[in-house]
Amino acid sequence: MKISEEAVFKWVVIVMVAAISIIAVTLLTRPLAGALWALVLVCLAGWWGLRWAARKQRGR
Amino acid sequence: MESATVALGHDHADEHHGPPEANESSRIDKQTLGIFLFIVSEIMLFGAFFASYFFLRVVVAPSSWPPEPYELPVAVAGVNTAILVSSSFTIHYALESIRRGNRQGMKLGLVLTWMLGATFLFIQLNEYVHIGFSARDLAFGSIFYGLTGLHGAHVFVGLMLLSFATIRAFRGHFGPDAKDHLGVEVPGIYWHFVDVMWIVVYVTVYIL
Repeated sequence: MKISEEAVFKWVVIVMVAAISIIAVTLLTRPLAGALWALVLVCLAGWWGLRWAARKQRGR
Repeated sequence: MESATVALGHDHADEHHGPPEANESSRIDKQTLGIFLFIVSEIMLFGAFFASYFFLRVVVAPSSWPPEPYELPVAVAGVNTAILVSSSFTIHYALESIRRGNRQGMKLGLVLTWMLGATFLFIQLNEYVHIGFSARDLAFGSIFYGLTGLHGAHVFVGLMLLSFATIRAFRGHFGPDAKDHLGVEVPGIYWHFVDVMWIVVYVTVYIL
């Protein structure tokens, strides 16, 4: 993983887009739906992180 | 005997004394690694506050959130969120500018970032003045001020770092090479972290 301002900025944009989707779901439906959508996104991020870490370990 | 001791002492003079030289990674410089490890510890700190928050909301589960008769200024905080998010773009612009050797762009980006950060902090303090409850009003008040105040403290620290970077920029420091603008890159990484944390705080506390 390259740790630089550029890489971190990409994550700011990703988190911002995710937050906008959560806000939209919450305002269009109800807070519980927004919370569940947030949970889905957190789980997806966790799964992606684990997959990335496993790939990195295999690469070593 | 004496000459032998002197000769031995001379031989040892060239040897390295004290702890061994620190190993440096070729993949990441020590300043960036330092701020990365610091941010990891900060995530844990915020995690503790979020754990308290979710304990209150999910386990204690009051009948309404925020409890009656309190209300959170969602719109004002939304505008404040937009201000802070835009400051991430300006610090990115500052770094992109110095990478291309554009010193004026870097200065402009840094000044804009500082001003947006200060505006965010001012609006948050103004929100505290007019919000109508204090940290002593129920556990809700405590966790609200705890989370937003913790974040506000981080914005303040970020502003201090940005102040140093801005002063150095106006004094002619920094250059296009990666090692020559670490003084902007490291505060930039910290500022992005502060920004991401606020997005999470805003969505959790004000929206959900």
